[in-house]
Amino acid sequence: MNEDDIARLVREVLADITARNAVPADAASPGEGDEAPDVTAVTTRDEFHVPHPANREGYLAMKQSTVARLGVWRAGPRYNTYSMLHFRADHATAQDAVFTDVDPGWVTGQGFIAGQSLCHSKDEFLTRPDLGRKLNDETRDLFRRELTRSTVTIMVGDGLSSSAMVNVPEILPAVKQGLQGFGIEAGPVAYVKYCRVGAMDDVGQLIGSDVVLLLIGERPGLATGESMSAYMAYQPRPDRPESWRTVVSNIYRGGTPPAEAGAHIATLLKRMLDEKISGVDLKL
Amino acid sequence: MKDVLTSVGIDIGTTTSQVVFSHITIEDLSSGFTVPRVEIVDKEIVYRGDICFTPLTSPTTIDAVALRDLVTRAYDQAGVAPGEVKTGAVVITGETARKENAAEVLAHLSDLAGDFVVATAGPTLESVIAGRGAGADAASKRLGSTVANYDIGGGTSNFALFDRGAPASAGCLDIGGRLVRIDRARGAITYVAPKIARLCNDAGIRCAVGDVADLARLRRVARAMCDLLEMSLGLAPKSAFYPTILTEPGHDVMLPKPIGHLMFSGGVADCVRDASREPFAYGDLGVLLGAAIRDSAGLSRIPRLDAAETIRATVVGAGTHITELSGSTIEYDASLLPIKNVPILKLSRDEEADPAAMGTSIRDRLGWFAADGPAAPVAIAFAGPASPTFARVQELARVIVEAMAPRVAEGAPVIVVTESDLAKVLGQSLRAHLGARHGFICIDGIAVEGGDYVDIGAPAAAGVVLPVVVKTLAFR
Amino acid sequence: MKLKTTLLGKTYAFRDIKDVLAKANEVKSGDQLAGIAAETAQERVAAKVVLADLLVGDVRNAPVVPYEDDEVTRIIQDDVNERIYDSIKNMTMAELREYILDDATTTNDVRRLSRGLTSEVVAGVAKLMSNLDLMLGAKKCVVQAHCNTTIGGEGVFGTRLQPNHPTDDPDGVLAEVMEGLAYGVGDAVIGLNPVEDSVANTTRILDLFADFQDTWNVPTQCCVLAHVTTQMAAIEAGARSDLIFQSIAGSQLGNEAFAVTGRVLQDARDLMASRGGSTGPNVMYFETGQGSELSSNAHHGADQVTMEARCYGFAKRFQPFLVNTVVGFIGPEYLYDSTQVTRAGLEDHFMGKLTGVPMGCDACYTNHTKADQNDIENLAVLLVASGCNYVMGVPHGDDIMLMYQCTGYHEAESLRALFGKTAIPEFEKWMVDMELITPERKLTDRFGDASIFLTERQGAR
Repeated sequence: MNEDDIARLVREVLADITARNAVPADAASPGEGDEAPDVTAVTTRDEFHVPHPANREGYLAMKQSTVARLGVWRAGPRYNTYSMLHFRADHATAQDAVFTDVDPGWVTGQGFIAGQSLCHSKDEFLTRPDLGRKLNDETRDLFRRELTRSTVTIMVGDGLSSSAMVNVPEILPAVKQGLQGFGIEAGPVAYVKYCRVGAMDDVGQLIGSDVVLLLIGERPGLATGESMSAYMAYQPRPDRPESWRTVVSNIYRGGTPPAEAGAHIATLLKRMLDEKISGVDLKL
Repeated sequence: MKDVLTSVGIDIGTTTSQVVFSHITIEDLSSGFTVPRVEIVDKEIVYRGDICFTPLTSPTTIDAVALRDLVTRAYDQAGVAPGEVKTGAVVITGETARKENAAEVLAHLSDLAGDFVVATAGPTLESVIAGRGAGADAASKRLGSTVANYDIGGGTSNFALFDRGAPASAGCLDIGGRLVRIDRARGAITYVAPKIARLCNDAGIRCAVGDVADLARLRRVARAMCDLLEMSLGLAPKSAFYPTILTEPGHDVMLPKPIGHLMFSGGVADCVRDASREPFAYGDLGVLLGAAIRDSAGLSRIPRLDAAETIRATVVGAGTHITELSGSTIEYDASLLPIKNVPILKLSRDEEADPAAMGTSIRDRLGWFAADGPAAPVAIAFAGPASPTFARVQELARVIVEAMAPRVAEGAPVIVVTESDLAKVLGQSLRAHLGARHGFICIDGIAVEGGDYVDIGAPAAAGVVLPVVVKTLAFR
Repeated sequence: MKLKTTLLGKTYAFRDIKDVLAKANEVKSGDQLAGIAAETAQERVAAKVVLADLLVGDVRNAPVVPYEDDEVTRIIQDDVNERIYDSIKNMTMAELREYILDDATTTNDVRRLSRGLTSEVVAGVAKLMSNLDLMLGAKKCVVQAHCNTTIGGEGVFGTRLQPNHPTDDPDGVLAEVMEGLAYGVGDAVIGLNPVEDSVANTTRILDLFADFQDTWNVPTQCCVLAHVTTQMAAIEAGARSDLIFQSIAGSQLGNEAFAVTGRVLQDARDLMASRGGSTGPNVMYFETGQGSELSSNAHHGADQVTMEARCYGFAKRFQPFLVNTVVGFIGPEYLYDSTQVTRAGLEDHFMGKLTGVPMGCDACYTNHTKADQNDIENLAVLLVASGCNYVMGVPHGDDIMLMYQCTGYHEAESLRALFGKTAIPEFEKWMVDMELITPERKLTDRFGDASIFLTERQGAR
């Protein structure tokens, strides 16, 4: 391959990337405009760098069956520059989801009753899961005052992803609409900072509601920084086994759509109230 | 959580009729830590009936009573009670389908076939069913390319093209092994189908009832039929006669993409593979047609694959490959199920994106279905936004309920079919708008087109999913 | 037995050998979480000094979980070769360390030695070693095993193809298998961690693997990493598996948390002898990882390195084909950052090899750990330099089901090139036959192109 060939290839590859980006071509083309290409504009399903595949169409179709990073090609045995940068961007997204705090303004703006676990810092939260499962004294007092005992108590917790909070405004109204359809009203929503799943047991014991729903940020995978889990339990208590919880995970725009998940959660909560059980005993 | 659906396939062909029973196993494949995801995990043919000659009272009339006996025997031998059958299809293919008593035949079978068995409607669906039974869809998926199947039976040749697993086009020619019949004892031709008579006439080949069955001459007839198959695949220029051979006038075989591999199913496919058969072994042109295909230089230009099923492709397709499942988070009133032959009102991506246009389109197009009466079910179908906001779902529900209002007032159920995963929240939103008492079905995970019909079965897997059969009458 | 020492004028006394072992550990957040770690850096060194001076016999005779109470302890102790043990029981732990590192000590010497060691002794030596000591020590312990092919040969570096998918979708799994094979990954094993631990799903994926393996004549071994009893049920019903997998722990209580016992594993092995799809004799596959005992409160107050070593002692009973430590999966509460993950990876590989099991490593990290892909590439390089039998391979290092990152498909050939190694010989030949690489190990245009498998294979089956 001579120099011209290489230059042509580079142009083709860059043009290819540009073409697939949502940004206008003139803004994203290297050398024109003032922006380098947005490596995250293309999804892993659509990112494709293999220059001369044996079966291009088949390859592209095959990629639709998985979000795994396939068809990324290589530089010698190593990664293609753009797929490597895309990976790094996705890791950055995941790390930011973990290590960034939820904006307190957002919490108040949602009208949540905001408290905190026994953890004082993110670092303590990450290394001391036991402390994340308990409410601090101030929060216990606050929740006792503000969260009236109701059929369903809804909680939101940051967990391991602050970015997951983006799902909350889509899940909550769907849950509430579903519950209304069953004639059930939910009380005010509690928020817990530095929250582990076990905190719902503390709240269950404190408030004495029939069921507790906790929407909490999941430990992010790569580029799934927004993924949220919904944990539910009938009369949760700290001494109940893990198997008493019902969980719906993978809620985000790339997984189970948040609004759809909310509707499903409402049905599950109704089932728990009817059958007075939760977790593995609650059959589909 | 697991459920097994018993499915029946009944194929009444020009020459032969067959029955198969299958067990379609569906199972929730979710981890238990996510929303449920019920899928078909296994399809097993549990009974393959004998290949019987289709009983006829005259060369053009099916003996409905004898056929019913034949099917009843299959149920008895398989040990299946009609009530157990949850899905499947009856297919009347080939020339027979146009015989005057096809409707009567179906009526005779309807109680036997259970309450959710599809009577197919036309060559397009039959072609796709045969292609699936032959395994062309699976092969195209495995190879990541296009695979075509020609199911060549007694009366018709059903073509279907699959692109990476999905049907891409279908067509049908009146070409089959049984269109010329020979009395082996007398060595004479006893039947020539009208179109084949015209074909021979145009080609200057003598072939008429009463003629001596001359091997060389009949080879030329088979060759002329094979030429038409080549023409249909663009391997030879189309003759003036060619449009005549199409089963549905004007409905030619379309090739939106080149054919990567070609397979043959149907009874004649066995004669393509096996060169050792007596020329008139079956008292018809089947063996010679198979030989003509085998020797065709044109057809052999396309790489060949062996079909998974040959003579049984249609019945296997009907019995095991016709049923799909809805998504696993859906909302419906079970009292409306099963429901059959629901026409599709399909909205485009543009229409669904614009609430005003969506409402107008629904209202306008509901008029097309007016003939069936104001309360007859019509399914509103659209692809649906991926991961919509809650507000967007509310809007969709509002538009649908408003546009359907006159029909709702007449008592028509609201039926919504989408591709995107949103049926649970959309269904709950429909309920909020319709009020708790009005019946509706809201399912996702199903792709349909305008002009299709759907059958929606009784709930399966503890009510998590609904079995669905999409009946495609034509490809666009 | 001396449990006390003075360091820079301060005297440090330890309760018992279990306490010495715990405090002699390099810093691990898991030991801190358990409340058993050294409180100061000096106390840590003091513990190492005390440990170095203990006799091998002292350490053997103080298993961290009593023999009477624990099946793992019994298996480890019962499997000791007493003649070899007698010859080393009066060595100090310091002398044992130096014997292993001695130039004159050969691979055969270490393999013989290992039969006289208990897991506490193995762990103890590791605690006296620096990272480079662990690497040199491990490199000396060549451990081979044979299933369909032979793993662990000198100059050979294998990889597990891990085609995980969030819904176990067969098309998606197959796509990932094709891509991995196109990158020369999968010679150690093609093994899926299923989302759904059911017989039906396990069977479905095993069938998929068997079909693909037969079509393309891939010389490797396949398995689905469901629970051992699920795999057994699938195999009994006719599914073809080359290996049986199970996660194991370093105490009976820990194994109970995985719903497994020695008896079950023996039954699994027996089943493979009669119904397995592979040549054998090594048909078991185990995964371990520091901290798993603590996470199920089954650590008996012992440190996570010692508990990890006990996994290998337990595993050895069942003559596995593969053992690997999933080193960074458990999270920052057990291994806080890349320094701890790297250390744990080298410790585990050394301890496994010294125990005599064919050791691999899943060098990985989760997104709530302070580590990144560079750290894991570093660890992979250190592991291959140490003679590690195999590492994982996932598409671009991103496991979309387990939601963590580990070594990617591209690492396999990069590491082979860096160290002049080959894939497992039969697989290496297949790569040449498939024209992925030339016989001189040059990558062809087909290398990295999964769509080469989207064709009909001539002469297949």
